[in-house]
Amino acid sequence: MSAFYEGLAEIFEVEATEITPQFDLIAHNWDSLAIVSTLALIDECFDKLVDGSVLAKCTTVADVERVVGMAAAA
Amino acid sequence: MTEAGHQAAVGAPHAPPKGLAVADVRLRGVVSALPSRRLDNVDFETQFGPEGVADVVKMIGVEHRYWVPTGQTASDLCFLAAQRLLTRLDWAPDSVDALVFVTQTPDQRLPATACVLHGRLGLSSRCQAFDVGLGCSGYVYGLWLAALLIQGGCSRVLLLAGETSSRLIDPNDRATALLFGDAGTASGLERSPGAPPIHFVLGTDGAGASNLIVSGGGFRTPEPDSRRPDSLAADHLFMDGGEVFSFTLRAVPKLVLETLANAGVERERLDALLLHQANRFMLRHIVKKLGLTPAQAPINIDRYGNTSSASIPLLMTTDLATRLTAAPMQIMSVGFGVGYSWGSALMTLDSLACAETLAA
Repeated sequence: MSAFYEGLAEIFEVEATEITPQFDLIAHNWDSLAIVSTLALIDECFDKLVDGSVLAKCTTVADVERVVGMAAAA
Repeated sequence: MTEAGHQAAVGAPHAPPKGLAVADVRLRGVVSALPSRRLDNVDFETQFGPEGVADVVKMIGVEHRYWVPTGQTASDLCFLAAQRLLTRLDWAPDSVDALVFVTQTPDQRLPATACVLHGRLGLSSRCQAFDVGLGCSGYVYGLWLAALLIQGGCSRVLLLAGETSSRLIDPNDRATALLFGDAGTASGLERSPGAPPIHFVLGTDGAGASNLIVSGGGFRTPEPDSRRPDSLAADHLFMDGGEVFSFTLRAVPKLVLETLANAGVERERLDALLLHQANRFMLRHIVKKLGLTPAQAPINIDRYGNTSSASIPLLMTTDLATRLTAAPMQIMSVGFGVGYSWGSALMTLDSLACAETLAA
């Protein structure tokens, strides 16, 4: 299990095994607090900075991973 | 500029010195004043529910904050702090050459509140006084201006930084209602030949202006913004937390590293990093990213909330007061936020004559 998925599990207060690319963010309270926490997690795990507004449009973990893949290194 | 032109400029023989620096200036003392009304998180539970409060608090880390009662303003808090500071430093009112008041919550739209404070403090008619309308970065800009005023010929400068953000927030906006606190501070800076240079890095990104804004109350009709909840009045603070957070992550670690590099100081040699107390989660993240120890970067947002331009001097008069008055220290103050505006000041301080916090 990656540190990123473990971090996401903490943010959404679910078991780490529940985090998959299909994980539905919207169904798990994808609010500004969760977005901000995810921004910090991405910075920590990948040393990349993404925009809050871009992150806000994501609906699944796969979307978030795509955003991370496109972001330049911090 | 073309690539070739850029390289030529970088390689020019008369390149400017690295960054901004002002020597022969010393910080002598700092006093903060807090309003008497303390609000605990439990006081917000009726409105937002215990879970609603807990969710936000987990992120921002504020346990209690002080808010002014009706009738008390940022200038009242700064007045008390300034009076005490003048006494402690044994500065006669007519020895002050300049008063700079940093605030976004002035008493009136005009005159500048610095002039009103000048009158209340009984300063000399030869003393200049003006306001600076910056928030989270404002204390560092105040230090910069005070240092330049001294370089320009002033001997003593009173730098007052105070904010009553409680008067700007919508009490129904959970994100801001729990975050902010009120405070007023006074710092005394003095000409001191031989004092080592204070290194500054200052910057602005006006593209972020709408992400932290009170759009009403000025002279431009507020423009509609789809991000604002309909219930939020124009004269209340709007904050796009996610955007402000990503700005901070982009700007602050870089700012700290650039300042250390300009000054030629290793981060291990920094006795204290005084970060504007914006949000505890963010502060912890920045400290970790910079590879600093928690002991190097004190956090007091749990007890006072985010007090905008007052947060750095308030950190000096609370968590750092004993150390600052006991021995010389090398510290870096870092302010960032509304504007977007940011600044850092790396100073080697003599032990301060006073660093104390008053109840106003």
